Amino acid sequence: MNNKLKVLRAMRNWSQAELADRLDVSRQAVNAIETGKYDPSLPLAFKLARLFDMPIEEIFDDGHEGSDND
Amino acid sequence: MTETRNMKRPMSPRRKCYAAGIGLALVVGAVLGAVMQRGETGDGLTIFSNAPLTPGFATGAAILWVVGMIVSLAIYHRAVDDHEERAYLWAGLAAWYTFTLSAPTWWVLHRAGIAPAPDAMLLFAGALAVNLIVWLWLKYR
Repeated sequence: MNNKLKVLRAMRNWSQAELADRLDVSRQAVNAIETGKYDPSLPLAFKLARLFDMPIEEIFDDGHEGSDND
Repeated sequence: MTETRNMKRPMSPRRKCYAAGIGLALVVGAVLGAVMQRGETGDGLTIFSNAPLTPGFATGAAILWVVGMIVSLAIYHRAVDDHEERAYLWAGLAAWYTFTLSAPTWWVLHRAGIAPAPDAMLLFAGALAVNLIVWLWLKYR
């Protein structure tokens, strides 16, 4: 799953470690999400959305467009 | 906002708990290994042999292993994050498959006289090695 985490983090000038601290996860977890090697759990996705003050679907993209048509 | 970027930040309660769980497991393993290596007769690496143990020592080692592992694992699982939990679960599954494939295979070959008697600790060590490799790969790749 694609995501904008790296961009959002860079816009705030946060390191991976700093973002990890704010989410209370390991730096490896942030790196794995940013590189698409790991999709976060729903609670962690909500935590990210609250931290960046954005809807989850604006941070993560599952590659499906027009999901309302499904 | 950025002035904290390079500052050493205090550990969160979760990270403290995580460090305590890992630390306790390492201490239990180190104490058990050191005592086992020092306290028993035999040459070489006694810890990896099947040499007899005194009942008192064996009982103490068994209690230390079971209690130490239960406590450290309980602490670890309370503190671990989503990403590492996933790595841990896949690593555990890989270790279980390793045991599932190797133990019956070895046992049946032994019954046919093709292989020596199955060694429980060798099977455990093999499964543990697979567990560690998969966990490290999934956590740090």
